[in-house]
Amino acid sequence: MKKILIIEDDLLISSLVQFRLKKDGYDTHLVSDGNEGMKAIDSYGPDLIITDVMMPFRSGIEIIHHARQCRPDTPIIVLSSLGEEEQVVLEAFNLGVADFIPKPFNPNELAIRVKRVLK
Amino acid sequence: MRKFLQRTLICILMMSCSFAWAQDQIIPEDSTEFRDFLILQKEVQGLSYRFYLLEKSISDSLAADSVYLFSKTDSGFISNSFSDFGMIQDLEKPLVEDSLNFRLDFVVFSQSVDQTAVREYLANLVRNGDYQVKFEEIKSSEDLVSLASRSPYSPFLKYKLKFVADYKLFGVTVVIVFFFVVALTMIVYMLIMKARKTKRENLQKEYDQLIVDPLTSLLFEKELDEIHDMEMQEIYQYFPQSYLGKPLYRDVLIDRIIGLNKKMKGEFKDKLKVLYKRLGLDKISAESLKNKNWDRVTEGLVQINEMDLVEALPEVKKHANSSNFHIRSQAVATLLNLSEKVDLAFLRDQTFPLSTWQQMSYLRIIKFVGQQKDLKLEILFDSANKSIRIFGYKLVRMLGRIDLIEVLSKKAMHVEEDEKIEILETYSVLGAHMEAEFVNQCLNSGSPNLVIAAAKAAGVIGNEESASILMGLLRKEVSFSEKLIYLRSLNELDKAEFEAFTQLNPDAQILEIRAHLLDPLLQHV
Amino acid sequence: MYSFLFYLILEILGVLFLILSFSVIAIYLILMVLSALEMRDYLRKNRFADYGDIITSPIAPGVSILAPAFNEGKNIVQNVQSLLSLHYGKFEVIVINDGSKDDTLQKLIESFELEKTNYAYNPEIEAKPVRGIYKSRNLSYRRLIVIDKENGGKADALNTGINIAGMEILACIDVDCILSSESISRMVRPFMEETNRKVIAVGGVIGIANNCDVQDGTVTTYRVPESTLGKFQVIEYFRAFLMGRMAWARINGLMLISGAFGFFKRDLVRAVGGYFPKTVGEDMELVVRMRRYMEEQQIPYKVGFVPDPLCWTEVPESEEVLSRQRNRWMRGTIETLQLHQAMRLNPKYRVLGMISYPFWSIFEKSAPILETVGLLYTLTLLVLGDFSAIYFFALLALMYLLSLLVSSFSVLYEQIAFNHYKDKKDLRKLIWMIITEPFLVHPKVILWGLRGHLDFIKGKGGWGSMIRTGFKKAEDKKNFKPESAS
Repeated sequence: MKKILIIEDDLLISSLVQFRLKKDGYDTHLVSDGNEGMKAIDSYGPDLIITDVMMPFRSGIEIIHHARQCRPDTPIIVLSSLGEEEQVVLEAFNLGVADFIPKPFNPNELAIRVKRVLK
Repeated sequence: MRKFLQRTLICILMMSCSFAWAQDQIIPEDSTEFRDFLILQKEVQGLSYRFYLLEKSISDSLAADSVYLFSKTDSGFISNSFSDFGMIQDLEKPLVEDSLNFRLDFVVFSQSVDQTAVREYLANLVRNGDYQVKFEEIKSSEDLVSLASRSPYSPFLKYKLKFVADYKLFGVTVVIVFFFVVALTMIVYMLIMKARKTKRENLQKEYDQLIVDPLTSLLFEKELDEIHDMEMQEIYQYFPQSYLGKPLYRDVLIDRIIGLNKKMKGEFKDKLKVLYKRLGLDKISAESLKNKNWDRVTEGLVQINEMDLVEALPEVKKHANSSNFHIRSQAVATLLNLSEKVDLAFLRDQTFPLSTWQQMSYLRIIKFVGQQKDLKLEILFDSANKSIRIFGYKLVRMLGRIDLIEVLSKKAMHVEEDEKIEILETYSVLGAHMEAEFVNQCLNSGSPNLVIAAAKAAGVIGNEESASILMGLLRKEVSFSEKLIYLRSLNELDKAEFEAFTQLNPDAQILEIRAHLLDPLLQHV
Repeated sequence: MYSFLFYLILEILGVLFLILSFSVIAIYLILMVLSALEMRDYLRKNRFADYGDIITSPIAPGVSILAPAFNEGKNIVQNVQSLLSLHYGKFEVIVINDGSKDDTLQKLIESFELEKTNYAYNPEIEAKPVRGIYKSRNLSYRRLIVIDKENGGKADALNTGINIAGMEILACIDVDCILSSESISRMVRPFMEETNRKVIAVGGVIGIANNCDVQDGTVTTYRVPESTLGKFQVIEYFRAFLMGRMAWARINGLMLISGAFGFFKRDLVRAVGGYFPKTVGEDMELVVRMRRYMEEQQIPYKVGFVPDPLCWTEVPESEEVLSRQRNRWMRGTIETLQLHQAMRLNPKYRVLGMISYPFWSIFEKSAPILETVGLLYTLTLLVLGDFSAIYFFALLALMYLLSLLVSSFSVLYEQIAFNHYKDKKDLRKLIWMIITEPFLVHPKVILWGLRGHLDFIKGKGGWGSMIRTGFKKAEDKKNFKPESAS
């Protein structure tokens, strides 16, 4: 079973995503802030990371940096509440994220993209 | 300090001496005054008076009078002794009326004496403190004053301190009482607030947990139609009826659904909207429009806007001209978003000036709505409210409505200066080259702000004539910042003219600006 | 005769102190209520504000951030990087190197690939000569402008920045401040909200970053500083920002926007001639001058205030540095008040002249003097054995209680509004500080204030004597020439 780490401060969004991904048979782990996220990357050892950009304590960009260093092979999907702000998108893709989904989003669409990334 | 006391003592002594000396003086020597003085005293122990009539005979009635009780002597009649001097005048009166010849006789301890002897007797009494001289007719109510006048003299300093000290005591007490009352109320209020807030927050967290799972599973398990046709009993399985009755639970539920709605796309958005109505939350939103608190009303408006509660629109319309800034802007935003046919008339009829904040939120909605519906922006140009007209011109450029340039062109000449400035900017952003004539007119207007705006526009949509006007302006006495604007436009408009004008210009500032404008690093500002 | 005069003076002073204490209590209670009302409204307003909109909207005003730097070589690159990453659409960062003696400029040039430009600099406001204006070749640093100029002090550096600033709103900050990424959007909002009045300036809260964890431009974990002076300043800042300025903003009587974090309308700043470099209190002086200008022009205006915690700074914890800072603040206050004497109790200047100005002269400027005299007074009464001494002892105790009330109110206030110090231990430390502060730190603050007065009279810095003569009108500032003879 593939392990997915979800770093997202909005409880509803994360539980919605988790619910959807569980249905597809993934093992998921939820954390709600940047600091927890950093720890979970090391301890949980995910196969995929889904992260927000704007969060308490640490920005998503920082998390991506960290993930790239210690788990360079783990793909990352950014779920951005900053919309399609050009700079964030650019920076995220420069850091080598697998996909970028701006909010508002459709959980079903996210599930499809997750499937594609993990293939 | 000792010196001070000595002086005070001397003072007191001197003053008491002079007081004693003055007591001799207060008994008048003049006979009429002396008489008045006695009248004032009323009674003095051991002193009385009687009337002596120097007549041979008196009438029978007088002789028989029981008050005077005249008795015959050798040379006339002598009356009974009276001790109340206050009655002298009353007793004299009948004697004077009968024009009798009479004299007042003083009696000290039943011995007839003359006025000098009486004076001496009185003075003695006073000196020994056996008698207190009365100075004026004393009314009974003024007893205190007479008492006070009897008390011995002493310096005032001590009393002053005592008085002020009491006054201080009073002041301090008032301050302390006031302070404690207010301080206590405040602290208690704050503590209650804090406790309430903590309780509320804890409950919110609890409800949050209760809501997340049912909401998530409902959204995935049920299709849109299924939610629509769900039995109430079935809904209560997700959201228990007992909780739905609690206002805080409903608030959290509303917050969650609206928050989620903002971040969701596609069928999830529709599901949320249907669910919102099924749960009866739309009624709560509509209800909050009637609330007294402006923040509740605004919240209600936000909910109506987010959840597309079209049926509440008539209520929303009533708030469009509210005097509260937040209600007003949210109401207008909601109307813009939800109205079936987008009629900007109500925006045109707004009486309050638009703030930048409102323009921002209206622009976002108008941009969104404008993609689907046909907007009649031009009606905004006819608003009686200048800030709305200016917003209208701004919208033309922000929505890229080139088709409206013609309408603007008809109006542009007859509007106020700041409207012209806005129109110029719209022209230049939309690249309305056909309006170069208008730009040139503005360039020649002589009004500083308008000229600057026109110069900026001329860089994009000017023509040859504009270039020559700009150079004309540059030859005049103008400030550094104006030169910079004119030259920048000239450079954009006609590179060759710019070169010719600046290259050999003797003005050091112009050369500086030229270097600035040609610096590639300064192009992206 | 002398002794009589002596007692008379004692009596008069007694009554005066009574009136004064009463008004102190009344004013602080009013301030507390006003700030609570303002805070309530602000929190309500924040519930449905969409700040994300401001970041991208073309209608939002542009912001020029002005950051003067003097010998900041150690952290300058990191600081500028964080300024460049603020969340806002239309802004530029202008770093003014005020003749640093270290490698500030070199570091900037290397890290941001800067190059000297042919910028046509026009000193509209007089300032020290500019040596060069730099921009980056790299487009990702397109927002950055670096000015290299000769040393002239903070106000002078800011004036140079004002001359160059290209945006509608100026954000004057200390380069070493930690700014939250949403600070611009929040601070810009008040400028956008007013309809009938012009917002001329907006002030913000400054938090104390000592001993806190900072990450990505935000304080992540709040901890109370270890030292007494540090803790004292935490409480003092709460009092000043959350209570004092909120309340003044409510009645539009705000006279001071902290120099470390203030937003201004550029055109107005230019119209009044920028900062006045000859006073040590340039931040307060500018706000007062701008307000005075608006009052004299009779344009309706407002000075706003945003209570969100957006800016943090390290405050001095050493007694020496703090004493110098307070001394300077006091001189700045005296100088500003002297410069604008014309407004004192002048109904023409409405709230500014009738309320703010007198408040500042009595409770800010003269406070150290009044407090010292009051204490001496009570002691004198005690020595004389006058029985009214006991009342004044009671008054002193009352003042102490008032300070407890005000301080605990501010802390409670912070707890309700933002709740940063979550650790119970921190709260306990703060409460202990509140109780001991009037004995431990307050006397020192009074002493520093008195020294400030003394230095002002001595004419420290050379400007005191000139400022004492004052200006006739706000506009005079532009033509102000130092009188070297006096």
